[in-house]
Amino acid sequence: MHKSLIRYALVIGLALMAVPALGQVYAVDYLGYGWETGGMLPSDAGDELVITCISDNVDPAFGVDLGTEELTLHIFGLVSTGQQDMGGYYVVNYTGGTMEIYEDPAMNADWGINPPNPTSPSTFSDGSLFFRGSFTSFTMYFDAAGTSGSFEGNLDGVDGSIINAYCSNCVYTWGGAFSMGAGAQIPEGYDLQMDGTFEIDSAVDNETTSWGSVKALFN
Amino acid sequence: MKTMMKGLLIVLAVAALPLGASAQQLFDFNGQAMMPSTAGGVLTMYSVMYDPAPIDSPIPLDFASYEFTLVVDGVTLVSDGISRVFSGGTVTIYQDAGTAADYTNPATFTDGTAILVGNFTSLSQFVPPFGPGSVSGYLDWVGGARLNDMAPEDQLHWAFLSGTSTTSGTLLPGYDEVWDGKTEPPSTIVDTEAASMGSIKALFR
Repeated sequence: MHKSLIRYALVIGLALMAVPALGQVYAVDYLGYGWETGGMLPSDAGDELVITCISDNVDPAFGVDLGTEELTLHIFGLVSTGQQDMGGYYVVNYTGGTMEIYEDPAMNADWGINPPNPTSPSTFSDGSLFFRGSFTSFTMYFDAAGTSGSFEGNLDGVDGSIINAYCSNCVYTWGGAFSMGAGAQIPEGYDLQMDGTFEIDSAVDNETTSWGSVKALFN
Repeated sequence: MKTMMKGLLIVLAVAALPLGASAQQLFDFNGQAMMPSTAGGVLTMYSVMYDPAPIDSPIPLDFASYEFTLVVDGVTLVSDGISRVFSGGTVTIYQDAGTAADYTNPATFTDGTAILVGNFTSLSQFVPPFGPGSVSGYLDWVGGARLNDMAPEDQLHWAFLSGTSTTSGTLLPGYDEVWDGKTEPPSTIVDTEAASMGSIKALFR
């Protein structure tokens, strides 16, 4: 009996750990442009990446009307650790970094040229704070030509009107694709055109249940 | 006669200038793709387009009254690897005020009016061992109800770029990747503008 209990506990424990139980996913789709101090490529260790974006689609659950207010993203403080040649493609990892998203009825977002400038990032960081997060990881993947690629980062939620309002134990990810030219219309002075999604996954908490109902799962 | 010729030359010169050119223009989309598992297989992607404001659409689209969908079809996988190479295929943009796009029913993406039909001239996908991927290539618009809203030279060599993810929480059953991207002309498209001969001459004073 004692042995059986231990076996059940092990099986159940392993099964629960192996399943990434995720619930509702909320998404904010955005477009924008970024620049890195010193330009890119190369991305030198110590360079800071700054990105300003505007959302063109947001999950209805947030109640944001993009017809009457804008949702802007300001990403800053991402510090390059230098680009790595992976033999066929390049990778740049970043440390630090903050993402802020603002809800703003002024609808004044303007990239201008040669950032930082009088409108960028300032018109992307005005309004009321919708979300603030700290990056726990951020990586850019460049194709062999070094002209386009993808990016992905994970964040811890820190502040803003949506924090704890839609989920608990939320998982925040920010990813998409970028172009450094290759036919893209990029405002003068910016290095990157970026298109992607900010996703909020509501993780499901562990669930308390009776021993009988757990055993019933295996009958 | 000489004066008339000079005037004509000035008009032609003005027609080539990007008068009143706004900043960036693009068509933005977010969709779901079915990927080929082996060379020779075909890629299909269904997506919904969004108003990219304050960035302009290359041609005006009435997002308040219509739903716009962008569909990629008939793209054949030629070779696999970190860089996947594709050949052929089309991009079609549909305008529809009837049925809402529903990923469980792909036919809802291809109803309505085909306003632009394009052929890919190149397409490849970068798939790093870790992290999301990206698709990039070029296309020429060759048909559709609104093809002639663009001058012939503006219909060619549009850049196509999309992020691709197999792990996104928004990936739907029956699909392999989430695509989030855009396509854009190589330079800003501008309307023709009516102007008096006097105002044109004034530009050269």
